[in-house]
Formats: sequence, structure tokens, C-alpha cells
Amino acid sequence: MTAAPGAPFFLPVRPVSLGVLLVATVVLGFVSGFPDGAGVVLAFSMVVLATGLRVVARRGAYSYAPVPVLSVLVLETATAPVGFGTELLAGLAGLAFLVWLADDPSRPVGGALRGLPEVAPPALALGIAWSSALFLPSGVVPLGVAGALLALALAAIAFLVGWPTVLDREGARS
Amino acid sequence: MSVRVPAHPLRWRPLTPLLLAAGAASLVFSVLFRNPVPLFLGLPLLLAPVAAGAVGPRGSPAVGVSLSTEGTGPEVRFEGTFTPPPGVDARDLVVTVERPPSLLGDPVPEFDWSGTVARFRANWFAPNPVITELVPPSVVWRDPLGLVEREAVTSTEPLVITRYPPELLRIGAVRLERTTPLPGENRSRRVGESGEFHGIRLARPEDPPRQINWRATARAGQRLSNEYDLEKTGDILILLDARPTPLGPAADERLFSIARAAALGLSDAFLSVKARVGLGVFGEFLESVPLATGRAQRIRIETALKGAHLTSVRPPPERCAVSVRRAFPHGLTAVVLSSLADDSSADLTPYLRRRGYPVVVLSPSPLPLLAGASTLAEEDEQLAQRIARLARRNRIAHAWEEAPTIDWDDYWSLGHFVDFVRRPRVRRAG
Repeated sequence: MTAAPGAPFFLPVRPVSLGVLLVATVVLGFVSGFPDGAGVVLAFSMVVLATGLRVVARRGAYSYAPVPVLSVLVLETATAPVGFGTELLAGLAGLAFLVWLADDPSRPVGGALRGLPEVAPPALALGIAWSSALFLPSGVVPLGVAGALLALALAAIAFLVGWPTVLDREGARS
Repeated sequence: MSVRVPAHPLRWRPLTPLLLAAGAASLVFSVLFRNPVPLFLGLPLLLAPVAAGAVGPRGSPAVGVSLSTEGTGPEVRFEGTFTPPPGVDARDLVVTVERPPSLLGDPVPEFDWSGTVARFRANWFAPNPVITELVPPSVVWRDPLGLVEREAVTSTEPLVITRYPPELLRIGAVRLERTTPLPGENRSRRVGESGEFHGIRLARPEDPPRQINWRATARAGQRLSNEYDLEKTGDILILLDARPTPLGPAADERLFSIARAAALGLSDAFLSVKARVGLGVFGEFLESVPLATGRAQRIRIETALKGAHLTSVRPPPERCAVSVRRAFPHGLTAVVLSSLADDSSADLTPYLRRRGYPVVVLSPSPLPLLAGASTLAEEDEQLAQRIARLARRNRIAHAWEEAPTIDWDDYWSLGHFVDFVRRPRVRRAG
């Protein structure tokens, strides 16, 4: 359903997913390297801005709602100090962002629950990656290997984006 | 042997590149700053689109659609139900309903979702009589995160909304001239409530007392009714003037839309009494539907009216009369629907009469449309309206010299026209 003239101007706020995202982003802002609590303020303001864009039922503004949250997440993780807790927090913030995306106020309620099958594979991958980082000896070389693997993943995703029909399975009838 | 069914491919939504860009940026930062933390953020962002594509249906979901329209007069209620196949949640269906431009009201319908079915209800209204097509809503499956979507397969035909003044349904009782000569006339094989005696049958509850054969009823001990050969009531030609006028394309289009609705109402009324109805739309050339009766003719006329459009050129009026003479028999009663927006619009009538067609003109007035579009001050507006009414009355009077002409200024009422056609009166001079 798309917003159109005659639609309500404001959409309802979905508090649970918003709360999860706010907590994850603010905590990440707190542990990030920004001085004088600027990370917290930045995280809070960006989440509020994204929520504002999302509840305004104007199509143009609505589609830009994820941009502030994604920007602040990338900035915070880029400046965050190295640590197992921080890594886990960054991954959880990414998952919280996905849950927030699924709880779209312009769509029927229960999106977060329905989106769990989509959030589960990234969560599983995150768990494996974090466990590996925690229990295996790390250094500069594994970081390079991880970067190369991610680059490979990016190439695979670019391939999928270019040819989405790879995921199609056409029906057959006899 | 298996046949491959073409499916709508999976489409990435604009959010997907955004997530991938953020994931790529995380990767770059991670390598640049030698910091693994951004990698852990990038991982969910990069994997989510792939998971979204893999979790959803692998082909176009076949969604069962049931559409209906209700309402009378200006009211149009458009309702629909969408049932997805097993394994697809109805709440993941995104339904887009388009309101036709000729209808007014809230363009966004009320939606009601449950896990197994999605419903919508739109309450619109038609400001004027109208024939319009309701395009079937588009149905798209979209994953809950809004990253991918896939168009659903539906099998629905467009619905047609027809709204015209209800008085038109009374016009069918008019006795029309037959154009089939009596010696070669093909009598209808149908039986009904008029014409020559055909036989006796068991009475039905809806039979009027006059139709009951009381003598036969007394003899048989059960109610019996007379049945008659159904008479053909006659033939009629509905002719639409699709030529441009000085009012401009927008006003012409609205008046033509009203005329099309009236034409369909007239044909419905006459077809319901088994009359033969023909249709002509005169734009640059005459597009005609030959005389016939029955349901098939109704569909032919409706299809022709849906596809009828105004032309941008103004051909000579004699072309219309010549074309009508080729397509329809001589002596056919013709109802001409023309806005008579300028003096030259009335030029069809004399040519048709000279070719032997009795003509009645039904003219949708442009004044109600023009009154709403004026930007004048109140006093000037009143004066302009008064002058326009006088000019219109004068034009109608001139048109009356050639043929009976009914000015149609209340678009939801055709009582005057129906009364006139059922009981025609000679217009008094002055």
C-alpha cells in the first residue's frame, strides 16, 4: 500500500521494534569513539529523525527513513574500539535495524514476527562469525582473510542483484 | 510433457542497494581502519537481501481474486478479496487499487488483512452519469523487510461501472416504429405478456390478474395464465455526436462521457423489452453497431461505448447522414445525443431527417460544468450564467425547429426526456 492523497498524514509508531533499535544504536554510540557522549546524542537524534520520516505518510520522505539509521550505524562502528563485546554489539545493532525495517507502520501489524525467517540467517552467520572471532586466535592476517571473504560475498550479491531470476523457480504443469 | 509457466521475476526494491551500500561501506572501513567491528555490522546487512530472496515464494504466487461492485445512482462500492496460495501470508500482499479519474472519493480503500485473506473496500461516487472500467488491483508479494517483491498471478477481468439516470429504465414502454416490413417480418419465437395468444401455462406468482385465464383456472382447479407471442416493439438508433466543440477538450470529454452513459442506459431500456437497438458514434467517420437485440447486443454496445472517443477534426455533417443510411434501414427512429454547445452542433438533425430518420435530440447541457469552473466575481458570475442560460435556450429553440430537443441540465434526472418520449406533445409556438 502506498501513501496517497486522502491517506492519514501520520502513521502509528511501532514501539517495540523502535525501542530495540534505539537501545542498540544508543549503546553502540556510547561505546563508540565519539568524545563527550556525542555518539549517544548522534544515535538518538538519527533514530528520532528516521522515526519521524517513517511515520509521515508522504511517499517521498518515507522512503528515506532508513538512511539516517544506516549512516549513524556505519559511522559508529567505524570509530568503535576493537573488542569482542563491541563486535557483538555492532552485529546486534545490524539485526535490530532489520527487525525495525520489518515492523513497517504502513503495512499490517506483525511484520517483525513474519520477518524472523529473513533475520534468522544473518543472525546465524553473525553468531558463527562472532564465536570464531572469540575462540580462534586473531590478528591482522585473519582480518585480511575476512575482508577477502566479504569481498567475495559482495561479488556474489552483486551477481544476484544483476540476475535476480537465479532465485526464481518457475512452476511446471503437465 | 511439462509446460513451463512464465513467472514474474523477483525484483529488488530500492532498499536493497541501500543496505548493500552500507554493508560495502562497513567492509571498506573495516579494511581501512583495520577494525573488525564494522565487519560485524556489515554481515547482517549483506546477507539480509539474499535471505529475503530465498525465504519467499520461488515463483509468482497465484492469488485468488474476487471483485465485486455495488451501489446505485452515484454510489460506487468496490470490494475485493485476495486469497494467497498456502505458504504465503496474506499480510505480505501489497494491493494497489486505482480509482478511475471519472469517480471521486477517497482514493485509498480500507484494507483488512488476516493471515489467510486480504480484503479491501473502496467507497467512491460518480459525480455524473458514467461508464468506466475498474482496472483490477495489482497484487504484489513483498517480503516483510521490504527488500524484494514479486508480482502475483491473478486472473480477473476489468469490471465495468455504468451509472445513468434511473428514469431511463421506464423508457422501454415507448412504442417504436418497426422498420421490418410486415410481409417479410420474422415473428419472434419468444413468448411473453403481449402480442398474439400463444397458449396456456401454469400461473406464476408474479403474473398480474389480467393475465390469469379465470375460465381455464375454474375448469382445471389450478391457476392458469395466458401466454402470448412476444411482439417486437420496434427499432431504435442511438447516435452520439463525437465531434469537437468550442468548449475545449476537457469539457467536451466530460459531456461525451455523460452522453455515453445515457446511450448505454437507453440501449439497456430498449433491449430489456426486446427492441432492436443500433448504435452510431459519429466522430470523423461513423462507427456503428448494427441493429440487433439480446444480451450479446448489449455487450456489443457496451464495448463500443467504452471504446468511443472524441475526435479532433470536424467532418461535414452530411457524411453522418450518408453513413447512417448505409448502415441502418430507412425510417428508423434516431435519438441523437449532442451537447449543442455551438450553433453548428445542431447540423446533424436536418441531414438525418432528409434521409428519412425521425430524430429526437437529447442534449447534455454544458452549463452545469461551466458554472463550477468560473473564476468571475459573484455578480459577474450571476450575469454570465443568466446570459449563458438565454443563449442555451435560444439554441435549443432553434434546434426544435428541426426536431424535438430536450435540454438535459440535471445529469442524474431524465424524467423530462422519458415523459416526452412516452407522451410526445407538439411544442407550442412562443
